[in-house]
Parts: sequence; structure tokens; C-alpha cells
Amino acid sequence: MYIGTSKLTHTYWPGTPFAADALKNISFSVGQGTFTLLIGPSGSGKTTLIQHLNGLLKPSAGEVYFDGKKIGPDKAALLALRRRVGLVFQMPEDQFFSETVFDEIAYAPRNLGLDEKKVEERVNRAVAQVGLERSRLLDRHPFQLSAGQKRRVAIASVLSLEPEVLILDEPAAGLDPEGKGNLLNLLSSLNRAGKITIMVSTHHLDEIAALADNLVVLNEGGLVMSGKTKEILARGAELKELGLALPQVTGIMHELAARGLPVSTDIYSLSAACDEILQAKRADQR
Amino acid sequence: MSGGISLGHYLPGNSFFHQLNPRIKVPSLVIILATLFAVTSFPALLTMIVLVFLMFRLARVPFRYLLKGLRPILYIALFALFIFLFFTKGGVVLFRLGPLTVESAGLWQGLFVITRLVTLVLFSLLLTLTTTPLSLTHGLGYFLKPLGRIGLPTEEVVMIMAIAMRFIPTLIEESQRLMRAQVSRGADFESGSIFRKAKNLVPLIVPLFVSAFRRADELAMAMEARGYRLGAKRTRLHEDVITATDWAVLLVVLVMLAASFYFKL
Ligand SMILES: Nc1ncnc2c1ncn2[C@@H]1O[C@H](COP(=O)(O)OP(=O)(O)OP(=O)(O)O)[C@@H](O)[C@H]1O
Ligand SMILES: [Mg+2]
Repeated sequence: MYIGTSKLTHTYWPGTPFAADALKNISFSVGQGTFTLLIGPSGSGKTTLIQHLNGLLKPSAGEVYFDGKKIGPDKAALLALRRRVGLVFQMPEDQFFSETVFDEIAYAPRNLGLDEKKVEERVNRAVAQVGLERSRLLDRHPFQLSAGQKRRVAIASVLSLEPEVLILDEPAAGLDPEGKGNLLNLLSSLNRAGKITIMVSTHHLDEIAALADNLVVLNEGGLVMSGKTKEILARGAELKELGLALPQVTGIMHELAARGLPVSTDIYSLSAACDEILQAKRADQR
Repeated sequence: MSGGISLGHYLPGNSFFHQLNPRIKVPSLVIILATLFAVTSFPALLTMIVLVFLMFRLARVPFRYLLKGLRPILYIALFALFIFLFFTKGGVVLFRLGPLTVESAGLWQGLFVITRLVTLVLFSLLLTLTTTPLSLTHGLGYFLKPLGRIGLPTEEVVMIMAIAMRFIPTLIEESQRLMRAQVSRGADFESGSIFRKAKNLVPLIVPLFVSAFRRADELAMAMEARGYRLGAKRTRLHEDVITATDWAVLLVVLVMLAASFYFKL
């Protein structure tokens, strides 16, 4: 398995009256080059799970794997792991501390001990990857940027590690619809063109579902289901029970099917929905 | 919210001691500490130890919390014992090491002093384990009130302390989160010289300050929106009443203090 966990359990504050199982017995795996969505309501354990995947948190029980190897406590191995698995935190712009955008993005490669020339190359590449190469903001103060730009800079400041896996914790939180759209394009191109394995946590299934190969659904620390996007979205009723909204398009398809139009309900992109409805209509008229 | 865990002390519960009024608990602790300094005999001191252990039982505090609470004074206690052993003379010579001797008076006094120290810490621990930082602050604030007469803004001081208490766990949590975030970006907070380590802290401290100031700003705004004014008379949501049990506890500790003086225990 490329990335995965086996019977992962995590308890915060073990051995105190505050002890709480944030994750219970989670087993899942995803393949290299895939795009995975981690969905679950607030407090379901998404952040906790994600922080195990690059060794920031240690399992209370069970194992975490990356590239076929178990993630252990060895310090050198952990450093190597964190170079390969980049993690973008929830509200990542809260971490900004540099005086210029350049320094912010250069932080990670400088930590790797690269020389300034290589650092600059990496910064430029990361800036291009997030689509900010033409906005000339490298010399600006990070706090002067717009929310969408800040989010991109935050992502660039992890991409400059040149990881092969990029994990993002609620990357769309707090962005306006346009910023959200840009973000989705960015993630899609990183995955398709950049060949980066991507994992995104969200509590809002929407346009982003169209990008995902796999869904992993969490609720109250437990794994509810995981598998191909199509298969999971077909189980809309179960998702709704968890208080998770279906993507709008999928919702409409479920509605249409319920009212007697013979359409399939595992559809989550707009174009596929159009085709399906037209086809059903034609069949109906005949 | 992790509610006060990070302060390391308060242990939620609803035992007898959890329910005592902090306005009684605080002075009671002071009186007990005075008693501890007043007693000079081993039997009296041992009675106090037995008492504090019984009280911990009653408060249902697991034993390891006592050990954890005592750990910080381990070295002080050992150091004190060492000083008494070698420098207090009197009684029979127990042990000779070159020019140094250990005499019985030193041993007894050393043991007495560290036992007193441990008991003192245990009583204080009982207070902090069974009282939320917030009600402790209000308890202390009550005794600051007379200072208001000479112009000290006691209400405000208590408010500042209460807010600080409230935000300590938040800041600790925030700094842990930031530390993880920067570690994900290749930061290393553990190795290197002291100078390097200090420099490495910049990516932690700057965002921490930024968020602390933002939080302070938001809080001030929210308080004003709800009508907070300096110097205004305020009432509290949970008016604490001092019950008969509270008075009884205060009476018991006063009797203890009086007895220790009167009988020269
Ligand atoms: N540092 C912590 N200490 C104690 N409990 C925690 C801590 N972090 C998270 N928890 C608890 O663990 C559970 C899972 O939290 P987690 O942050 O992983 O959820 P989440 O799915 O990321 O939620 P959200 O969508 O709100 O970000 C929650 O019940 C939370 O209260
Ligand atoms: Mg989260």
C-alpha cells in the first residue's frame, strides 16, 4: 500500500480524565497518484488522521504506512518522510512569520539545507505551480495579500519541499466561490500534470467530488466507508444521515430518480449529469 | 476545548472539596499552612500528613497526581536534607566521612523539614486540583477587594487575571499546533546550539503574537458589544453562597491552628 493505516487508534490525553478517542480502529489505503477526499462532519477526526500521515502524531494503537513501510519513531526516517509527504494545515496562513512572500516560501527548502540558488529555483517553481508567477508578489508582505493569494502562498510554502504527496486540511475553508474554484483547478493540475498524490479533507462535498478518485468517510472517529467516489456517492442516503450534504449535482440526480426519471445517481460532475438527463429524456420520448 | 488541562492541575470532579466555596478554601489553606509552621513535634506533623492523605481520598484524586505534583520539589527536598545532615550538629554521631560528620540532631531536623515541605505542597496541591483556575481567581479577588478603598482597580485586576487564565490553555494549544505546522515545513526545534535554537523559534513566536493580538482585539470588541465598561458594577452568573459546611470547614482549621499554639504541639 502507498499511504494507509491499519487499525489506527488515537487517544488524546491518555490516562487522564480528559482521555478521548479521536480515532478508532481506522484502516484504509490509497494508491500512488490518486486524488482522495477525506470527508466527515466537524470533530470527526480528519485533522487527527491527517497528522498521523506525516508522523506528527503517534498512534495510540495500530500502524501507519507510507510507501510500503511502517512509520516508526526513528527521527531521521521521520525527517525523510516529512520531505516526501507535504502537509498543508487548516488555515495555513496563520503560520506566516516572514517579512516577504519569498522568505515564506523559502522557509522549507532552507530548512532542507539547500544553497540559495537552489532555494530560489524551488521558490520560483512553487510560485509557478500555484499560478502566482505573474502577480509579482514575492517582495510583498504576506499579510498584505488577499485571502485567496494567502492560501496559494501557504500551499506554495509546502510545495517548495517538492513532496510526492500533498495533504491539505480543509483547504477551501474561508475562501469565496471564485477562490474556491481557483483552488480546485490548482489541486487538479497538481494531481494530473504534477503527478502528485493528493489527499484533501473537507466537510463539504461539492464540486471537489468531481476531482476525487476515492472517498474516505469518517464519523465520530470511526471509518464509515471508503472506496471509489462513484460507489460511495450512490449511497447518498447514508451520507445524508451523517449530516453531509451531497454535491449539488448528485442531489439533483437523486431527486430526479426519486420522481421517476430513470437516471443513475452516482453522478457528480455537471457534464456527466447533462448527458445522463438528456439520454433519459430521449429514451422517455421514444 | 481542552478546558484547563494544560494548566496541569485542575481535576474535574464533584467531591466535597470541589464543592467548597473558594472564598473559604483559600483562607483555609493559608491557616493550614500557618499551622504547619506552628507545629514543632513529629507526632503533630504526622497527624497533618495522615489528614492530607485522607483529604485526597475524599477528593478522589488518583495517587499518581500526588507524585506528579511532588516531582518539582524533589531536588529542593534532597538539597535541604543534605544541608541539615552535614551542617546541623548535636546528639550522637551517626556517621563519619573524613572531616564531615552526620549527627542525630541533623538527621531528625532534616527529616522534619522535608516532611513539612512535602505536607505543605500536598495541601496546596489539594486546593489547585479541586478548584478551577477561574474560581480560584475569583476567590483570591475577593480578598483583594479591600484594596479598592485605596484606589486599586481590583475588579479590573481580577478580570485581567481571569482572562489570562482562560487563555493560557488556548495559547499552549495554539503553540503546539504551530509547532507541528512548522515541523511539517522542515523546522527542527530540538537540535542545534542555544543560539540556533533561539533563532529557530522565530517562526513560532511571530504567528503566536499575531494571533494573540488578534484575539485580544476580538475579545475587547465582543466585551464592549456586550456592555462591558470600566468601573461598572458587575454581578456574576453563579453567585457563590457560603454554606454552613463552608463555615464549619473554616472553624475546623481555625481550631487546629489554635490547638497547635495552645498545646505547643
Ligand atoms: N489537542 C487536542 N486535545 C484534545 N482533544 C482533541 C485535540 N484535538 C482534537 N481533539 C478532539 O478529537 C476529536 C477529533 O478532532 P479533529 O480536530 O481531528 O476533527 P476534525 O474532523 O478535523 O474537525 P474539524 O472539521 O472541526 O476540523 C474531536 O472530538 C476533538 O475534540
Ligand atoms: Mg480539522
